[in-house]
Parts: sequence; structure tokens; C-alpha cells
Amino acid sequence: MTELLQATAMVFQWEVILVIVAASLFGLFMGAIPGLTATMATALLVPVTFFMDPLPAIAAIVSATAMAIVAGDIPGALLRMPGTPASAVYADEAFLMGKRGQLGLALGINVTCSMLGGVIGVAVLALFAPRIAEFALEFTSDEYFWLALLGLSCAILVAGGDPLKGAISMLIGLAIAMVGMDSVSGQVRFTLGNYNLLAGISLLPVLIGLFAITELLRSLPTAGRGASRKETPRREGFGGVAGTTWRYKGGVARGGLLGTMIGALPGAGADIASWISYAISRKLSREPQKYGTGHPEGLVSASAANNAALSGAYIPALVFGIPGDTVTAIIIGVLTTKGITPGPDVFTEQGALVNAIFLVFVLANLLLLPLGFMAIKGAGRLLSVPTGVLYPLILMFCIVGAFSANNSMFDVWVMLGLGLVGVFLMENDFPLGPLILAFILGPIIESNFMRSILKSDGDLTAFVDRPIAMVLAGLAILVWTLIIANGVWKRPGRRASASETAAEA
Amino acid sequence: MRTSDAVSGAMAAALGAALGAALIVASADLSPLPRQVYGAGTFPKVVGGLLLLMGGLMVIKGLRQRQPWCRWTSKVAARPFLLTLAAVVASVVAYVWLTPVLGFPIVAFVLLSLLFRAYHRRGWARAMLTAVLATAVIWLLFAQLLHVPLEPGLLEQVLYP
Repeated sequence: MTELLQATAMVFQWEVILVIVAASLFGLFMGAIPGLTATMATALLVPVTFFMDPLPAIAAIVSATAMAIVAGDIPGALLRMPGTPASAVYADEAFLMGKRGQLGLALGINVTCSMLGGVIGVAVLALFAPRIAEFALEFTSDEYFWLALLGLSCAILVAGGDPLKGAISMLIGLAIAMVGMDSVSGQVRFTLGNYNLLAGISLLPVLIGLFAITELLRSLPTAGRGASRKETPRREGFGGVAGTTWRYKGGVARGGLLGTMIGALPGAGADIASWISYAISRKLSREPQKYGTGHPEGLVSASAANNAALSGAYIPALVFGIPGDTVTAIIIGVLTTKGITPGPDVFTEQGALVNAIFLVFVLANLLLLPLGFMAIKGAGRLLSVPTGVLYPLILMFCIVGAFSANNSMFDVWVMLGLGLVGVFLMENDFPLGPLILAFILGPIIESNFMRSILKSDGDLTAFVDRPIAMVLAGLAILVWTLIIANGVWKRPGRRASASETAAEA
Repeated sequence: MRTSDAVSGAMAAALGAALGAALIVASADLSPLPRQVYGAGTFPKVVGGLLLLMGGLMVIKGLRQRQPWCRWTSKVAARPFLLTLAAVVASVVAYVWLTPVLGFPIVAFVLLSLLFRAYHRRGWARAMLTAVLATAVIWLLFAQLLHVPLEPGLLEQVLYP
């Protein structure tokens, strides 16, 4: 109880509240503009969060991403162009509803169900994360090795498309992570005599390069052309939003729970959650023939799922230090630079902080409602922001942001290099998710492996002589069997095409 | 630009080979831990080996499916994409090389003016005006508020009188 009071005191400071509101507005803007994703919003926020305390830093990222995912629905309904990949699955549906004069209803449902889904996700997070953490306290380096390996393997499996390409993407991430001083032996690797690389390649320029520069290079060529249709939503009320949401309350609950679970899987984030939730809702619906013609039912589940997934991703991130998606990968990086190593110990040693994070989640999700409706009203103005000005501005932000982490021009080169690598990989259908997860998990896997091997004096069987470790090892082997099976008997199925559309969006 | 799986696979394999080569060169430095067969060289070996293997598999796949070596599949035409690529690379290179000499305000203003003019197409006057404002905002945010040591350069006397 005292921890909860402490947490409340931590959150309700004008500084934290201000950060939440400002970050929400920033996320709203980034999400609403097609081509700018929630991950990109996070990557651009990180340089600013470096100068904050841990709680406001997390609050900024949490509120910006939650708002960005909701705002991504707006251009989907107005222009049939999803603002972020997480809205891609129902952009058509919402657009068709808008054509029938139900724009207010479609977007109102998006905002309301996103908020509800987000709150369900937080409830699950707050309820289960501490229990799992208690259990995880007994984990040793053996279990962490398998857990991190399992997370990495899942990332390849859920990335969709060709598993071979996912695996190569992961290996590239591992290779980048190995540069610099090895954490166990202290030996220096692959620095080619460059002293800038001694401490390794830092997270921030990698993130900005992969997620901001890559997107910029893909969107900038078309800047200033097309897309500037200023279709302001007609003065439409939000009548029927509450009624429709109540009518499909089962869909909201299912979307929220499913989204949280998918979000908790390493590598699967909001976009995959909304795809799966939409598909399941269609399968269970009493009127599946209406899907794709402007029917609100799928909208309800998928909107709830993508915001719930954001919270779900924090379960493995906070409990094990293993990111559930690209955004939590960034969060782990941010926390580590602030001297907090996410893991079960955080729950016992920094209980107030953990509770404060949960509170921030609730606040950010509740804030979706007023800000979301405000954004819908101002959508016309939001979407007519000239991209020809915006993208160059983002480029300058990227450069200054990459520089600011270590005040080093070398990081600006790293950012540019990874941006170019990222574009090449994206154009060739290599998923970027496994790369960034591997970059973060690589050192965790290696250091835990070395620690275990030192303890057991070089005996590899020690990795499976504890029951939990054995189960985790079994799971990891199972996932790899699935990956290999998937690669050998790969048919051009629906899953692959779904993730391709998601990547294009 | 989409390349054949054979080409991208070969690149992955080449990266694996490069890791292997770097390991052989650095093998003296990356000795195993005392009384162990494992050490700082273990993971690079595994990752390099797997890259060679997976890259090799992709080469085989690409050759079997007889994909074209290289074709343009982006939604964006090749010319605007390559122009943008050149513009972004040139901007970053110019920033890194010129900022230590001229300072952030001048370099950012010039780069932004050029980019706004090229992509927003509303004439020089408006491009330069927007660039002045944008440079000022970034300077205030990063240099004043977040204390990032951006180089004042030639304008040092003006900014910090």
C-alpha cells in the first residue's frame, strides 16, 4: 500500500504530467502522418528522454506510442492510408464506413476501443507481471540464456515472410552487438583499431538509423506530391459510438486479452496483434460476410488489440528484461543507460517505480479519449502538414538526436550506415524486428552463456539440469523446429502476404 | 531495389566470411577464458558460421528460382529514390564535415533551406524563412534546453556574447 502511495506521489508531479501530455501530442502527430510510425516516434524521443529521470522518460515513450497507434487510425479512415502499420488491417473497413457517412462512428470506435483495450492490457500487466517476477527471482544465468534465446527465436517465427531472411536479419543484429569490449572477458572485438568502437555501437544511432532514416529514405521521394488532399471530416457527431462499443463488448474484451498476450510474445507487437484479432473476430462473428464492407465489429476487436499489445509487450520487458517488441527494446535500452536493469529484482527493489509505471500506463490510456477526439476534429489540419517541410526537419532531428547520445559525430556515421542497410533490407523483405531485438538480446545471451559455462567449468549439460531451464530449452528447440519446418515447407500462405502488406503500409 | 536471393544471400555469407576472417586475424587476442574452451571468440564463431550457412542456403534458393539479379520493385520510381538517397547522404556528410568549422546554426540553416526548396517547392524566400525558424527551434531545444554541445562555430560571438 505504501508503495502505491509512493507511486501516486511520483506520477502526480507537474513535471511528469506535462511530459505525458506533451509526449501524447507528439505521438498523435507522428501517428497521424502516414509514413511516420510509432517506433520512429520512440526513436526520435529517446535523445530527449536521455536528459530525464527514469519515470518521465518511460512516461514519455508510453504515452507517445499509445497515442501514435490511435492516431494512425485517422488517415486510414480519411484517406485509406494507415498512419502506422498497426492500423493497416482495418483501414479499408474504416474508410468504407466513412464513405457511408459514418466517419465519426468509425473513428469514435477506434479511439474508445483503443482506450478500453489499453486499460485491459494495463490490468493484465499490473496483475501478472509481479507474480511472474516472483517466480523469475529464482532464475539463474542458465534460465536467462534460454529465455533470451527463446525470445530471439520467437521474433523470427512471428516476423512472417521467409524465416531464412528473418534468421539472417537476426544474425546481422548479433554481429553488430559483438563489436566492442566483451562484457565477460573484457577482450576487444572487431573494432578495427577505431577507438570510437571500444565501448561498442550505441543503441540510439542504431535505432534512429534503422527506424527513422530507413523510413525517411522510403517516404521522402514522394514528399510534397499527392497525399495533400485536404478532406476535412464533415461536421459529424460521434453518435452511436457508445452503443456500438457496448454491442460488441465481447469483441473488446477478446481483442484486449488477445492483444495483451500477443504483445507479450517477443517480437510480435501491435501490428501483428491487430491482424490476428481482426481475423479471429471475423471467424467468430455471426455475420462474417459483412466484414470488408464497412462493418464496425472487426474495428472494435482490432482497435482494442493493438493498444493492448503495447502494454502486453512490457510484461517480458519488465520481468525478464527481454523486449516484447521494438518499442520495449528501446525502453530497455533507455532504462539500462539510467542504471536500472529490467528484471525481477526491479519489482522487489523498485516496487514504487514499477507501480508508477503502471499508473502512467493508465493515465496515458485515459488521455487517449480527450486527445483522440480532439485529433479527429482537427484531422484535416493535421493531415495537410506539408511533408516537404516535415521530412527534412525530421532528418535534421535524426542527425542532432544521434549526435546527442555521446556527443560524437561517429554516431552520426553509424546512423547513416544503418539507415542505408535498413533500406536495403526492407526492400528485400528482410524484417528489421529480429535485427534490433538481436542487437539488444545478443549481449544478454552471450554473457549468460559465459557465466553459466564458468560456473559449470565448461560442462554444457549444466544448461539443462534444472527443470525450468530444461522446459525453456525444450521450447527453444520447438520454436526452431517450427522455423525450420516453416522454411522447408513454406507455401506462399496468407500469413506472409499479411505481413507484407503490413510492412508496406 | 530488390536483388535476387542469390545476391543478398551471397552478401550475408560474405559478412559471415568477413567475421571468420576477422576472427582468424584477431585469434591471438580472442583467446578462450582460462581453463576453458569457450571465450570471447565463441559467439563470433557461431554467428559467423550461421551467417555462412544461411547465406549459402539463400544463394541456392535464389539460383534455383532463377530470380533476376536485380530489379526495381519499389512503389517509388528509381530516379526520385536515388536523388533522395544522394540528398540524404550528402546532407549527413556535409553536416559531419562542415559543422566543426562553420557551426551548427549556419550548416543547419543552409541544409534545411536547400531541402525545403527541393521538396516543398514554394520558392527560396519561404524555404529560407522556414529554415531560420526550424534552426532556431532545434537550437533552443537541444542546445539550450537539453544542453547538447552543438557547435556555435562562426556565430559564437553572436550566440554567446
